Parts: sequence; structure tokens; C-alpha cells
Amino acid sequence: MNKIFAIAKWEFLEKVKTKTFIISLIITPIIIISFSVVPTLLGDQETERTKIIGMLDSSYVFFDAYKDEIEKFRLENNQLAYVLINLTEKNKSNQDLIKNADRRIMQQNVLGYLFVNSCSKDSIRVQYRSQDHTNFKDIINFEAAFKIILIKNQLTKMGYNIDGFNFIDDQVHIEQVKIDSSGDEGKKDFLTVFFSSFIFILLLMMMVIYSGQMLVRSLIEEKSNRLIEVLVSSCTPDELLAGKILGLSSLGLTQIIIWALIGLSLIGGAVVPPEVFSNVGIMLVYFILGFIFFTTLFVGIGSIVNTEQEAQLMTTYLSIILMFPIVVAVPAIQNPDALILKIFSFIPFTIPSVMLLRVNVSDVPVADIWLTILILLLSTILMIKISAKIFRIGALMHGTKPTMKEIIRWIKSDV
Amino acid sequence: MLIVEELTKKFNGYSAVDKLSFKVEPGRIFGLIGPNGAGKTTTLRTVLNILKPTSGSIMFENKPITTNFYNHIGYLPEERGLYKKSKVIDVITYFAELKAIKKSSAITLADEWLKKMHIERYRGNKIEQLSKGNQQKIQFITAVIHNPKLLILDEPFAGFDPINQQEIKELILSFVTSGKVIILSTHQMETAEKLCEDILLIDKGKEVCSGSLKKIKNDFGGNNIKIRYSGKITEISELEEVKHIDYYSNYAEIELSPDATPNEFLRKIINRIDIAEYTVIEPTLNRIFIDLIKQNSTQN
Repeated sequence: MNKIFAIAKWEFLEKVKTKTFIISLIITPIIIISFSVVPTLLGDQETERTKIIGMLDSSYVFFDAYKDEIEKFRLENNQLAYVLINLTEKNKSNQDLIKNADRRIMQQNVLGYLFVNSCSKDSIRVQYRSQDHTNFKDIINFEAAFKIILIKNQLTKMGYNIDGFNFIDDQVHIEQVKIDSSGDEGKKDFLTVFFSSFIFILLLMMMVIYSGQMLVRSLIEEKSNRLIEVLVSSCTPDELLAGKILGLSSLGLTQIIIWALIGLSLIGGAVVPPEVFSNVGIMLVYFILGFIFFTTLFVGIGSIVNTEQEAQLMTTYLSIILMFPIVVAVPAIQNPDALILKIFSFIPFTIPSVMLLRVNVSDVPVADIWLTILILLLSTILMIKISAKIFRIGALMHGTKPTMKEIIRWIKSDV
Repeated sequence: MLIVEELTKKFNGYSAVDKLSFKVEPGRIFGLIGPNGAGKTTTLRTVLNILKPTSGSIMFENKPITTNFYNHIGYLPEERGLYKKSKVIDVITYFAELKAIKKSSAITLADEWLKKMHIERYRGNKIEQLSKGNQQKIQFITAVIHNPKLLILDEPFAGFDPINQQEIKELILSFVTSGKVIILSTHQMETAEKLCEDILLIDKGKEVCSGSLKKIKNDFGGNNIKIRYSGKITEISELEEVKHIDYYSNYAEIELSPDATPNEFLRKIINRIDIAEYTVIEPTLNRIFIDLIKQNSTQN
């Protein structure tokens, strides 16, 4: 046991002192922060600006009424959300008008314009033409304004005095609320779910890749300079492995804690809502088990490869497996009960990350949770046994890379 | 005492070591010699408990070698290497700690050894800043710092200049007097000849010959002579008693055929050339090695 700690201490201290560690400590948070803050800033800017919208209406029916309606939408600071300008000119064909109006979009005089194509008694056909895809919220507002005009027109025609119907202008906001089986309501919107799952999946990925690569690199170094022989004549291979995993994962943990502290102190709760951590207990279980599972996998691989290049290739493949949940994330949030997602949540390689996602997007049955933890636990134990065997033989070999057949024979053999 | 009996290690059905038995007594250096691929490293690894033998037993001080022996074993592998980016003092104390020495005493011991090896000024340097010879010294220290009972040295002199070789040789001899069990594996027959009292020559995983160096030389020697002469060497080189001859401008080394004796040969040649000196010489271990290995490979 003392030897395990001696090895862990050595791996930790020697790596902490390296320049690469110190550099990555500073550069990575800068990258992460710019990734997470820049989109938020961009999103904010869009909503805080008054948008200039044009209208092309050769029937001359709507402009004034629509201007009144659309300017009722306000930004948080009570500034107008939209300003409507008239693009209709007399004695010109619709085609010429569209051409001119399109040009104004290109010149960025207007963000986009509403083209009233035809109108009959009870329906209007409108195109919204713009250069970029427009925020769906804007479109909803445009529709609402038209709807109100139609209702008001209709009521006037029927002889009502619409001054008594102010409620028509009332705006409705729908807030999404997710209900758990326990009846608790959590105000989790897409962003929260996204963050809480992704913070953990990203941390898992980073830690696995980071510590795994360190582990593989240190094994390759010791293999190539034959230090491994001295080491295994001083302690058992299992002690050596345990010490390395312990030391390097504490290193990964240290790094992530420092990153988290830097991140939280700079951007704080503004970006990360506290609801993110509501499932933290169960997520930690998947996180830790997943981490051990993948790290031992790296040990097995590190014992087979002989050069840095081979190791890089192998770690790339492993990273792709870890990335997998990001690919399925958006469909998973939209449809958390998809069969394919359930299947992946029972495969050891994808259990940690898919389950980190599932526990947040839907109410996962308790049986599923226990079963996935059991599968992960058993496959981790199996992986430790296999990797330790590969390590015992592979670590002493050098020269050619063993074939799959040889590796299987190693696993079966009694060393 | 280390006693190895009927040691066999098979890899995928191929015997790297085949029924090898030997004894290593304390206070004597045991030389394990053999050509490349003879099974020396595999033998050493099984003794070191890195590999499990397929069959046979290895006993040290009447007990089977188990993981408990790790702290009493010192190993200097043939291929050297240390953590290049780490500090000298850190590397030495790490290896001492792996042999269950407490950190504080490990540092004291490390400083003593650095002084003994005259490299105390590099204490705080990184390994990569040291010359190759000094790196080798560090590695030697890591093998012996915990005062092991069993010391296994694989090519201990490789990479050292003559002065350092001398220094290392004296150290090894001091271990002999302190009663350690020492196995020395080497290709340098000269080294083995100077240091080892007992020899085990192996080839293809099997014993070729073993015993004390003196006995081996007696068994295989006795028919080599060296002469200093003047005259035509061809006068004698074509005689039927001459099995092999190395000649230079004024002296020659001759190996006689087994049925000839040095005395008869002297009588025969005394009238053919002028002899200034005539000596019966022991064969070098090098010679014995080459002959035996050749013989062994033609037999198979």
C-alpha cells in the first residue's frame, strides 16, 4: 500500500512541475471561457437591439395599423423592439418593389421586410424576407401582430367599438416546466439540461483524455528506457498500475478543480444556473465509474503500443467513443425515450456519458439506473483484470506490436 | 544462498529457459554468460520475480522467492534509462522509497552515495543534464541504495570509461566481502574472467558448462602454448599437432591437438626454429566461450 502511494506521489509531483501542465492550466480555461461566453454575448446583443423592419404592401391596407401593433413590442428597457418603415412606392410593379426592397436588405438598411402578398376577407399571405434565418421569436411576434389586426378589423366590421377590447393586445408568454415523478417541478429549460449534462460529460471527457494520455505517455517512457523492469522488480505490476492511476487521476482532478475555480470566479452563476447541479449525486457515480473504466482501458492500450505515434492513434479512437453522446445530445433532449438511446445506455463504453445525459433529460426508471451501474461496475472490474494482464506481459515486451491473437493469448495465460 | 532447480520458462510452447539448475553462494560473484538470445535475461527475470517460471523452483535463503523479497533485491538492467526530466536526488529517493526505505533516510543514503561516486555536485540537476557515464552512476546507485541481499547486475560496465569501470569494479568487490549474493551477466569475457569465481555458460536456454572458473579452465585448457621465436613460422604451422595458430611478427599462440602434449611438441620444434620463450598458457574464457558455443551449435 505504501508503494502505491509512493508511486502516486511521484507521478503527481513530477507531472505537476512540468511546463506542459502549467501551460495547459492557463490556456484551457481561456478556450473554454471564450467558447461559453461568446455565444451568450452574441445572443444577448441580438435581443437588446431595436430591429428595423420594412413593409411592402401594395394594397395600402396594413401599414399604419401594423406599425401601431408591432411597436407595442418592447425590449426589457422599454425601448421599441421593432421599427416599421414603409417600402411601398406608387406606380411600381410588385417585382420592381421586391427588387428594390431586397437591395435595401443587402445594403443593410433594413433587417428584413414583410411582403403582403395577397389578402382576402379572412386570410393574409405574408412573406418575411431577410438575409439570415430569423429568430423564431420575431416570427411569432410578426404573426401575432397580423392576427390582432385581423381580429380588430373583423370586430369593427361587425359593428363593435374595439376600444372596449383592449385585452386583445395582451401578450402571452409560455414558460416550460418539467415535472418529475415525485411531483417536484423543476424549471429546467433546454439550456439548463444542456449545461448540466454537458458540464459533466465534458469534464469526464477531458479528464479521461488528459489523464489517459499522461498514463500512456508515462508507460511508453518507462517501456522505452526499460525502467519498467526496475519498477516491477520493486513492486507488483498491480501496485504500479494502481499507483499510476491514483497519481494521474489526482492530477486530472486538480487541474479540473483549478479550471472550475477560474471559470466560476470569472463568469460565476451568470452562465451556469444552480439547477445544473440538482442531480449531482447520481451523476458523480457515473462520472467516477466511467473515469476508472476508461483509465484502465488506457492502461491496456499503453502496454501494447511502443511509440508516441501509435499511442496517439489509439487515444484518438477512444476519444471518439467518448464524444459519442454529443452527437446524440440534441435528439436525446428532444426525445429522451428513444430506443436507440436506451440501447446505448446499456453498452459499457457509452454508459457513463449517455446516462449523464439521460438522468437530466427525462425521469429514468430506478431499475435502469441500478442495472447500468451494475453493468458499468462489472465491466470495470473485468477491464482492470484484462488490462493488468496485458500490462504484465506487454510492459516487458518491446519491438513489434502484438497481434490481436497474441493479446488474447496473454489475457488467457497465467503470468 | 540462491538455489535454482530445474527452472523452465516457456513462451507459447517455446522454451526460453530449459531445466536450468544453479547455485549462487554469498561472497562469490556468479557469472551468467551466453550468446545473445541464450535466455540470460529470461533467467534473471524469473529470479527477480518479474516472470513466473513454467516449472522449477527458485529458493533464496531456503525460502521461495515471493513478492516479500522485492525489498532485498537490487537490479541493474542491461539497458539503462532514468526519468530524464527529473532531478537526480528525486529519482534516487523515489527508487529507494519503492524499496520501502523511509523518505528521510532515503535522502541521507542518496547523499552518501552521491559523495561516494564523486557526483554530489549534480544533486539538484536534471538527469538529462548529466553525462552518460554519470547517468549510469545514478542508475547504479538506485540498484544498491537499499543494501540488497541479492544483487543482479546485467552488463554493469557497459558505458563506463576505464576510470569509472575501475571505480565500479571496486564497489562490486566490496559487496563480495560484505557477503551479498551477486549474479553478474555479461558478454565481456574479460570482465567475467577477472571478477567471477563461478561461471554458468548457457545457450539456447540450456546449460553448456558450469562450475568454478578454475575447474572450467582446467577442463578445457592445458593444450595452449605461446612461443617467442625467430625464423620461419611456416616450419611449424604445418605440423599435424597444431590445431590452431595465431601468429605475429615474433610470437605465436598455438592450440595443440588433443593427443599432443606441450613437452613432445617442444622437442619436435626445437630444431626447426629458434625459440626465445616457450610458455604453456591457460585458455582465455573468451576462447572457451567461442569453442563451446560453436560446438553446441554444430551438435544441434
